[in-house]
Amino acid sequence: MSFGWEENQMWSYIFRRMLWAIPTILAVVTLCYVMLHLTPGGPFDSERQVSPAVLANLQAKYHLDQPLWKQYAYYLKDLLHGDLGASFRYADWSVNALVAQALPVSLSIGGTSMIIALVVGVGLGIAAALRQNSMVDYVVMFLGNIGNTVPSFVLGPILILIFAIWLKHPDGNGYLPAGGWDGSVRYMVLPIALLTIINVATIGRIMRAGLVETMTSNFIRTARAKGLPLRTIVFRHALKPALIPVASVLGPLAISSITAAVVTETVFALPGLGKLIVNGASNRDYTLVLGLVVLITVMAVLFNLLVDLIYAVLDPRIRY
Amino acid sequence: MNRKIIAAALAATLGLSSLTALAANVPAGVKLADKQELVRHNGTEPDSLDPSLYETKPANYIDSDLFEGLTRNGADGSIQPGVAESWKQTDPRTWVFKLRKDARFSDGSPISADDFVYSWQRTVDPKTGSKYTILHEFILNAKDIVNGKKQPKELGVKALDKYTLEVKTTDVVPFFPGLAAMGNMAPLKKDAIEKNGKDWVKPGKMVSNGAYMLSEWVPNNRVVLVKNPNYWNAKSVVVTKVTYNPVESDDTALKMYKSGEMDWTDEIPTGIYASLKSQFGNELRNTPWLGVYYFNLNNKLPEFQDKRVRQALSMVIDRDILTQKVTGNGETPAYSLFVKGTIAGTPTTYAWTKEPMAQRVAEAKKLLSDAGYGPGKKPLNLKITYNTNEMHKKISLFLASEWKTKLGLATSMENQEFKVFVKTRHDGAYQLARNAWIADYNDATTFLDLVRCGSAQNDTFYCSKTVDGLIAEGNQQTDSAKRTAAYSKAMETAMEDYAVIPMFQYSKARLVKSYVGGYTNTNYLDDYLTQDFYIIKH
Repeated sequence: MSFGWEENQMWSYIFRRMLWAIPTILAVVTLCYVMLHLTPGGPFDSERQVSPAVLANLQAKYHLDQPLWKQYAYYLKDLLHGDLGASFRYADWSVNALVAQALPVSLSIGGTSMIIALVVGVGLGIAAALRQNSMVDYVVMFLGNIGNTVPSFVLGPILILIFAIWLKHPDGNGYLPAGGWDGSVRYMVLPIALLTIINVATIGRIMRAGLVETMTSNFIRTARAKGLPLRTIVFRHALKPALIPVASVLGPLAISSITAAVVTETVFALPGLGKLIVNGASNRDYTLVLGLVVLITVMAVLFNLLVDLIYAVLDPRIRY
Repeated sequence: MNRKIIAAALAATLGLSSLTALAANVPAGVKLADKQELVRHNGTEPDSLDPSLYETKPANYIDSDLFEGLTRNGADGSIQPGVAESWKQTDPRTWVFKLRKDARFSDGSPISADDFVYSWQRTVDPKTGSKYTILHEFILNAKDIVNGKKQPKELGVKALDKYTLEVKTTDVVPFFPGLAAMGNMAPLKKDAIEKNGKDWVKPGKMVSNGAYMLSEWVPNNRVVLVKNPNYWNAKSVVVTKVTYNPVESDDTALKMYKSGEMDWTDEIPTGIYASLKSQFGNELRNTPWLGVYYFNLNNKLPEFQDKRVRQALSMVIDRDILTQKVTGNGETPAYSLFVKGTIAGTPTTYAWTKEPMAQRVAEAKKLLSDAGYGPGKKPLNLKITYNTNEMHKKISLFLASEWKTKLGLATSMENQEFKVFVKTRHDGAYQLARNAWIADYNDATTFLDLVRCGSAQNDTFYCSKTVDGLIAEGNQQTDSAKRTAAYSKAMETAMEDYAVIPMFQYSKARLVKSYVGGYTNTNYLDDYLTQDFYIIKH
């Protein structure tokens, strides 16, 4: 694929963006660190009170007895070595191990659903835009509105009811599992379906709007006047500029599908990242939350960079 | 695996087991399933599987399968021999346990009294950083060791010989055999821990001594245990594999139960007890639980230093309506912090419970008026603090409504995130706060901590010399009737002082598939060990 610009220009751009990521990550981590420690209640507050002596032992074990700046310095030092520290809530696990375990689950569910949603969403968006105000358009828009307005905590249980409880497998159990995870496709189908429905709705609507707008531009009118067939007009001329708005939602959508699919993970009892971060925050698991924040920031930086590069591919006027 | 082999192995197991007492008590005539596998729902991911570290119920379920202490909990709630085959109290503060000689760790090595000494010293060692030392603190010097004032080797536990363990306690602790049944009190294999450090609890590295061994552990997903062939009573263990699924949403767990992925739910979603009962019939099991739900009255505040105000608030609450209409999971009204089933603690009730509500309301109004509150006098504004949760919200609303309609008191409500709430309550920065206590071991002392002066668990700040005196008296009693009398009197005194507002005794409602045999309705601590179950042919 040609970026339409000098390759070394592109690499130097990528390099500069990566350098900028370092202060970004540092700023996010610092802010998050301060906010976590300002929140009332600590990792060792629970229904059963811990005696002062035991609390002192625990705080010493996790360096919480040191001044905050010193703890922060310890944290940064470990972070530079790629060590995200020990989890407070999951005493037997390091944050690295927890992330390593949850990331593949989130990537396979979120990533797969993003790819399917992109293909299906763009396809439906094109179909609707080309037959604006037709039956096809209405159906696509109706489905899009359902995906956008019916919350996932309603859609998820409906999918479970149909495919895991009503439809039976010959062995007497549900046709598909209602929840859980063992890495097999059986367990992926319903969560991927749910996330895909939500993402298709967003992508389809934006694709449709983008294409409808592009199709009314002057250069498309010129192409039509030249007598080009519709297929050529759409795929050679209209599609690229119409995809720009889709590209701009892709970054945030991918991040939320992978790292923040909390509802999906709860409904299907998935051991993913979203649940880790929510539980981490409510348990005041400082290290776990910070580790995930670092991960999500890195992903956000990468996705944004990717989107910016895609812009350059889609629009020859964009150069960095 | 070949089904025939399993069936043959099972047949052999059953043949042998007729000679000894079964762990799983399979009644004659019951046909067992070929596949003896059980999937249990666990409310959340265990905090740790290290017996020295864990403190939560989900971890205790698993560790009670993985590890076995001197004793163990039977399915019916009784205390059964574990690694110890017998025990006796040689003097009021000394217990001697005789260990069985055939008890082994999962790696085949024999268990000796030293393994208990090592385990318990490790737990109380400040370096271990255990949050859960309350069971061990009944042992002589434990508190001082936890506080760094004494050395772990000074703990009051001694291996008299390879198979005899002597335990010295601080007070008279007649319930020590019950404490010894907790997974936290299990023997630990020193070599395995020192060799693998923190990772000794991981599959392939863990050496345990219970009926099961750790086979697989994926955090937030599943913990899989398989039968331990080296367990001393392995021949009586019927279920060969148990999977614990940590699913935090009870709704999701219910769906997984319906779709056949679970044989057992930890709890049921609130508010649908009746519909589940009609849908599942006998699969819905309900057992009284050794736990009490109550409200804290901040005894430090001027309005609650007056006993009449505390009493007035308590006596107008209709606990029957609360448990039947609001909670509706089989809870029973409580008028004491001792609940049904508490050993050495008799629950008491108030005389006014027999009066009609109108009379109770009239008396309460008079009490408030005498205390200087009411129409034409000082206003009494109430504020309930609770942690964000649908059930706590419903109960708080019910209380506010009772006080508003019956006593005309304005009540506001404030919900807080759990950790914030716990801190608020502990710091005493509240007026009325929801509270609950689930017993870890069955003895009156666990509930008495809630009203004892200065106890870490007493965040109502109620303090009575009479109550403390009675508790101290009970702690030194060697006669069980006198001990029960002292403790019961202590709690009754605190209740007559209206230290707190008791609301109801919990009940543990869960769904258990009809093909899971061995479930009882008398296990008040909810300590069900997988080795007591069997899967019926279905």
